Amino acid sequence: MVENRPFAAIFSHVVLIIGVVIIAFPVYLAFVASSTDATTISNGQLSLIPDRHLIENYAKVLFEGTDRSTKQPMIVPLMNSFIMAMIIAIGKIFISLLSAFAIVYFRFPFRNTAFWVIFLTLMLPVEVRIYPTYKIVADLHMLDTYAGLTIPLIASATATLLFRQFFLTVPDELIEASKIDGAGPWKFFIDSLLPLSMTSIAAMFVIQFIYGWNQYLWPLLITTRDDMQTIVIGIQKMLTVTDALTEWQLAMATTILAMLPPVIVVIAMQRLFVRGLTETEK
Amino acid sequence: MADVVLNLVGKLYAGNIRAVSDVSFAVPDGGFCVLVGPSGCGKSTLLRMIAGLETVTDGEISIAGRVVNRIEPMHRDIAMVFQNYALYPHMSVYDNMAYGLRNRKTPEAEIAARVAEAARILELEPYLKRRPKQLSGGQRQRVAMGRAIVRKPQVFLFDEPLSNLDAKLRGQMRVEIKTLQRQLGVTSVYVTHDQLEAMTLADMLVVMNRGRIEQIGEPLYLYENPATIFVAEFIGAPPMNMIGLDPAVGIPAGLSGAESLPVPPTGAMLGIRPEHLHLDRGDGERGSRLRLELKIDAIEAVGAETYFYGHLGSTGPRLVVREAGRGVVPTDGARAFLADRAHIHLFDKASGRRIEM
Repeated sequence: MVENRPFAAIFSHVVLIIGVVIIAFPVYLAFVASSTDATTISNGQLSLIPDRHLIENYAKVLFEGTDRSTKQPMIVPLMNSFIMAMIIAIGKIFISLLSAFAIVYFRFPFRNTAFWVIFLTLMLPVEVRIYPTYKIVADLHMLDTYAGLTIPLIASATATLLFRQFFLTVPDELIEASKIDGAGPWKFFIDSLLPLSMTSIAAMFVIQFIYGWNQYLWPLLITTRDDMQTIVIGIQKMLTVTDALTEWQLAMATTILAMLPPVIVVIAMQRLFVRGLTETEK
Repeated sequence: MADVVLNLVGKLYAGNIRAVSDVSFAVPDGGFCVLVGPSGCGKSTLLRMIAGLETVTDGEISIAGRVVNRIEPMHRDIAMVFQNYALYPHMSVYDNMAYGLRNRKTPEAEIAARVAEAARILELEPYLKRRPKQLSGGQRQRVAMGRAIVRKPQVFLFDEPLSNLDAKLRGQMRVEIKTLQRQLGVTSVYVTHDQLEAMTLADMLVVMNRGRIEQIGEPLYLYENPATIFVAEFIGAPPMNMIGLDPAVGIPAGLSGAESLPVPPTGAMLGIRPEHLHLDRGDGERGSRLRLELKIDAIEAVGAETYFYGHLGSTGPRLVVREAGRGVVPTDGARAFLADRAHIHLFDKASGRRIEM
């Protein structure tokens, strides 16, 4: 479907550029806002060129916090979010790899039942089961801990299904060759399955990291202490100020900061994606 | 000393599907046994049972005097070459060959020596650092062979290893496998559906059909003395000509000299190989030879030999004649061919078994 028609080329470029502008402009605006001072923003005189308060604002947000609302350095929730997202992403991948491995390669009673139970949890996202989950986490004294923040979010049907689908495409002869080469199930998993799933793992990591990073409702419920807060909640708290002006330039700086880690993850992992896609194994 | 002995081996899959029944044979130490048969005849299942990849539901398999029915593949001291090579795509050629040795805790220095030797034998030295996907089909096949060789196993198992290669490469690799097996003297079991491969490789040929053994023996013995109609038609290309003889109907038109054949009341099949039919040039005695009159449809002259395709007595069964050299016969002409009594085969139509004459 590669056609060389100048009009089509121009048209598709125009559409793409419009799309990029629609998505990128608010981000740019946030960036510009994060580089000005409070007066300029509250006067509504935001220019389209970044101002000179850039470093000053970011340093303040990171290490001192706002003057009026939360008054905490944002480095703490940033770290919390990062730890949470990492635990969720890695934990999900780890558990899903193991459960998919069990479901695909082992014959045990109720294997299909196990698969369908995992599948069913797809229909029960955190929001639906939030009360019982909260109750369990509270009873286990896991409020305000990383464990309470992450464990309920780790169990994942999507990742299990994805890895299951991938494992099913691995040729049976490879397993048989491993058996004859003297590799037991665990060695087969480590030596063959894991290296072969590298690209799916990278894809899963990107998706789950962003999923973990963007969690809002669950951290809101489970954390009460300021030092356990995540960045998404940090932003939200920054905006609600009583009897004063919201410090928009600081809020915008935090927003930009909150956006960076997922962007970095995507960019870093994109290389792995592309490499995995261009050098097709098998 | 590693012979492979199968004693009344059978395989019953879940759902009462019988894949293999009552298979017994023994491959002597250093022997090259080829299992041949059409697809679905159970030959691969049998091989996989020897490898330990399928459970044995009946009978016993022993390797080097040890019953292996309940022994894991890795402890059977076998190596297998798969149809799709089954190379580890994420490992280099070197690692592919070294993997089995590493799992057996072989010292790294010895692994290096063995891989180097295998690479030298198989001419893989320039490719040791490459990944399987950077190799051609023939090279991948060699890596799969190398993976088997480095282990120095007691038995090699080959599961249609050449079927993914093109015809030219297949012929070349066939010779290589044979040479290599002779050189190493390792007992081998080889599965194929290609009768040419089977004939050229085997010391011992096992012809299978519908999960049962049809006949076992040296390839040329089977060629000359097929025990059943199935073997007669399966071994040899072009296949043996078959002419139905039914006492109730009488001798088919175009065939003479067959009156004295011991045809049972249920009927028989008369088999004559294409090369055992010779043009009746009208010179010399016909003697006790059979005479077949063919209406020729087509002639293929391929240089060293000429193939005649025709129908017996113009409407009878289709026959092929292979005549050495170049015969000149006008197409759609009628010609007579002679067959020596010593070279004809007779089979019971009902049981398919050979009738000795």
